Amino acid sequence: MKKPIITFARWGNYTIAFKTLFEQLGLEVIPPEKTNSETVAAGAKIAPEMFCFPMKVTLGNYLPALERGANTIFMIQNVGGSCRQRYYGVIQEKVLKDAGHDITLLDFRATPRDIYRKIKEITGASFWQILKTVRFSLRELRLIEKIEKMAQFYRPREIKKGTTDRTLQESLLKIEELKEEKAFPKLKKEVLKSFFGIPIEKNKKTPKVALIGEIYTVCDPAINFDVESKLGKEGIEVYREMDLTYHIKKLIFPWKDWIIQRKINPYLGSTVGGHGRDAIYEMLHYVEKGFDGIIHLLPFGCMPEVTIRPILEKIHLESGIPFLSLSLDEQVAEAGINTRLEAFVDVVKNHHEYKIS
Amino acid sequence: MTIGIPKALIYWKQPLFWESFFSGLGFEILLSPATNKEIVDIGVRVADPENCFSTKVFFGHLLWLDGKCDWIFVPRLKTNEEKLEYCPKFFGLPDLAKLLAKTPILTETFDERKEKFGRTLEKLGKKLNKNKKEIKNALEAALRERKNEGQDFFKKIQSKKPKIILISHPYNLYDDYVNLKMKEKLEKLGIDPVFIDEVPNPIRQLADQNENWPKFHWEFGKEIMEKTSEFLKYDVAGVIEISSFQCGCDTVLKEFVEKVVKANRVPFLYLLIDEQTGEAGLQTRLEAFIDTLH
Repeated sequence: MKKPIITFARWGNYTIAFKTLFEQLGLEVIPPEKTNSETVAAGAKIAPEMFCFPMKVTLGNYLPALERGANTIFMIQNVGGSCRQRYYGVIQEKVLKDAGHDITLLDFRATPRDIYRKIKEITGASFWQILKTVRFSLRELRLIEKIEKMAQFYRPREIKKGTTDRTLQESLLKIEELKEEKAFPKLKKEVLKSFFGIPIEKNKKTPKVALIGEIYTVCDPAINFDVESKLGKEGIEVYREMDLTYHIKKLIFPWKDWIIQRKINPYLGSTVGGHGRDAIYEMLHYVEKGFDGIIHLLPFGCMPEVTIRPILEKIHLESGIPFLSLSLDEQVAEAGINTRLEAFVDVVKNHHEYKIS
Repeated sequence: MTIGIPKALIYWKQPLFWESFFSGLGFEILLSPATNKEIVDIGVRVADPENCFSTKVFFGHLLWLDGKCDWIFVPRLKTNEEKLEYCPKFFGLPDLAKLLAKTPILTETFDERKEKFGRTLEKLGKKLNKNKKEIKNALEAALRERKNEGQDFFKKIQSKKPKIILISHPYNLYDDYVNLKMKEKLEKLGIDPVFIDEVPNPIRQLADQNENWPKFHWEFGKEIMEKTSEFLKYDVAGVIEISSFQCGCDTVLKEFVEKVVKANRVPFLYLLIDEQTGEAGLQTRLEAFIDTLH
């Protein structure tokens, strides 16, 4: 058997943690290409036409890595139950083989035990080594999520526009370059310090907007045209509950689903696959908390999110909270999104001022 | 008391069953008419624009019934007796129906992973103030009405005319307005159309898993793939797959149906239908496809 050279599905800033995971296990890794219009177009070209957008995006990200010599792809299956994500692995394998790439696709169910077994089989690493590596990448992941959340807080309050985004990018680069777990605490301190150093207006009252919807589009700034940063620069504080840790927690502790179901019972009596229920739950939660707007992000034609959208619209009509639903796919242009966001920002600011007065 | 049943989507999963079940319980049944332009227009207007065409048609039927009966029956179909899931869009149908219709919705969750079909029917009966015995009698009467499958297939497969297998969901195959009278059109062109439903179920293969397709967790996925490999054993001139626009499950399924069919060197045509499909365009494509068969 030839030596496996790994590439994997790209997912926003979390890619850094994935990369660490594979590298620390002693595997050769060629990280997937950053998402840009060319990779998206290349992925959409060979993918089935009507398939959902994240599949096309990840497919496009593999292609440059495959050209540079990667031959094994990691894909997690079954992120949310009944939806099409379950078949990403098989479809991508078929499509890539049809396009003439000789690859092995490692497709596994996202339970910790499965992942552990698969990793052990490929790397031959010991239990302790795997445990240490997983811990290291989880620590990185937590830090990435933490600074993303901090950036959401700092952006609307920063005095000089663009400082937060620059700090965020620099910090991510630093995390990416980290090679040893020993140096992690020092790096963490350094990164947090650089954030605390951003000059801000402390007591500024900002309108609050929440991002809900499909996990991949919500978390990856390259896919959602950096909605978070755009809103932040307009002086709006962005919240989002959905991230990778949230998802992993839900996999391990299923009772979160029961809590969600109890709360959304008047609106939806069952799961609809993916994170359909979570979107309704979060929207109800944000309405209670007095938010000034909700943005619903979904890939075009996403089955769970499309099914629940009429329900979200009903909550929007009942509560009067501004609501914007953005479907994303390879044909959506940034200019169109910008126009809609600008209009939405005006609505949110009016809503906020009306509420205060 | 009148119970309205929308004649779309889930109705076609078990045609005649629900009507005979409820009339066996002594209710009057109001069935929405065959799909027509008016119904599709209503559905398209109220449904989410990105929802699949079949769901839009369903909402059209639902709103046609709205106000004409005491209850509208929209079951929440989750898993079938093989413990395979239905399309995830069916899971939310009763809730979406409640948003749209003013008439009360009669619903019950059919999840055979959790409870047997008969038990769910008893729960449904309780809502209608019927006891267990009445439910049992109605169920038995309704099951008798189910048509025998697989008989026509062997008769059809022996005919001299070229045969084309139509692959789709029952709600596309049996709804003539939705599939633009595909059956009639093919017959006019001298073809014998055979629906995938009519293909008999293959005898259980020894190996549960076939390497040509993944293990589907959707009931229709497994059924269609098994039947596809079954009819390919016979002399089939061509295969047409019909799919509703924005049907998420079909995008997965189509890849494997196409793979299996093309591996057997049988011509394959994939047709998408939606509210804007023109009949002339379809006719041209069908004619061109049939020319390639000979």
